[in-house]
Amino acid sequence: MVWRRKTTKYLMRPVISTLLFLAVLAISANSSARFERTYSPRGPAHLSISNVNGSIHVVGWDRRTILARADASPSITIEDQALGDDITIWTRRNLSLGHANFEVSVPPETSLAIKNVIGKIELQNITGHVSVNSFDSDVHLVGIDSPSVDVRVTSGDIFFDGLLHEGGSYNLQSMRGDLDVSLPSASPFNLNARALSENINLGSFLSNLTGSSRGPKGVSGTYLRGGPRLTLTAYAGRILLHKK
Amino acid sequence: MLCNECQELISEYIDGAVELGEQVKVERHLADCEPCRAVRDDLLQIVHFSHQLPEHAPATALWPRIREGVAELQPRFWSRWWGGLRTLNFNLSVPQLVAGAAALVIVISIGIIVTQRDSPASVDSGVQQTNLVPLSNVDVQQLEKQISKLSQSVEERKTSWDPELRTAFERNLYYIDQSLAECRHQLKDNPADDVSQELMLNAYREKVRLLEGFEKF
Repeated sequence: MVWRRKTTKYLMRPVISTLLFLAVLAISANSSARFERTYSPRGPAHLSISNVNGSIHVVGWDRRTILARADASPSITIEDQALGDDITIWTRRNLSLGHANFEVSVPPETSLAIKNVIGKIELQNITGHVSVNSFDSDVHLVGIDSPSVDVRVTSGDIFFDGLLHEGGSYNLQSMRGDLDVSLPSASPFNLNARALSENINLGSFLSNLTGSSRGPKGVSGTYLRGGPRLTLTAYAGRILLHKK
Repeated sequence: MLCNECQELISEYIDGAVELGEQVKVERHLADCEPCRAVRDDLLQIVHFSHQLPEHAPATALWPRIREGVAELQPRFWSRWWGGLRTLNFNLSVPQLVAGAAALVIVISIGIIVTQRDSPASVDSGVQQTNLVPLSNVDVQQLEKQISKLSQSVEERKTSWDPELRTAFERNLYYIDQSLAECRHQLKDNPADDVSQELMLNAYREKVRLLEGFEKF
């Protein structure tokens, strides 16, 4: 009887240990890896983020440092490189797609180059150059006061609320999604809007557009004295221009 | 996918009502089959023109009048047809019957030959029709070459991709190809349309961007 009890006791130990080990393994498999870095550029920095799947949110703040944080699947490795004021962050993955969600705070004058495949992109309060290159993403640009903005997505809506600089270039393009642009009513620009869907709504900007050519698929012209080049291209989606 | 299978789905494909797996099969077939592309472009043209037609609401009294008219017409038509048939004299001689049968065989044979010649099954025998939109532009030709090369490379890699990534790629490729088809169709209506030319070139560039973006995976 005593022998039996002892045997059971000895057998239970490895079983419990194995179960505990498996539980820890399961928890760690579900948990996400964290990435956090602080960079201290000496001048206006150039930040590139290259992601595959997940959201990217970059906001301008009043500090001189760049703080980049990300939550990522265990299958994702986040790497970075800082060469002077050029900072590059990118994701590596194994066979599984995984995800990485970025939250980044930057000095407003930082130039941004954002690449993604799937996932929402939000940029707020940025005054540096902006370039967004993605495939399956909604792109929100709010409080943008940049000398140039270039956004290309294959599918997804693009929302722009900001200011245009004299001599600046602003290109927004989506193959499958709406372009929604809000500008101050006193903001001059040269417009070139193209929509294969023949759905272009320039609101009250239209009445003050001079030297314009207007067709169902394309409108171009000068608003007020002109200057910044605003190029809007949509295919299966609308172009909407609002006055702020 | 065979031509008849593709053409059965093409209407739903244009409406965006086919499932993703079928979309991809249709896209693959369309990429290699000029006659099916022609069918797709014709349907796009019909959709395009029907969108431009003004909408007219029929008068409220019209439908009752149509219903009454149809109800009155149907018995008269059938009774007249049946009556006419019954009054025919079918007393035919043997040579007349043989000649009639021979004529019937000839008519059926011609019908079959014509149907087979026009049917998409002949596509696989290598018959190529001329392209509906002559893409003489050097830029477009270069882009098409680049796309063909990239597509090959992506196709080889695609099998090892995560399903979610593959779905995203195929969905976006489908959107671009739809836009390209619409541009082609609009250029067919109006070859001098600068905006459509510009949009088409841009859509080709977008396709290159997509393929280059996914080629690294």
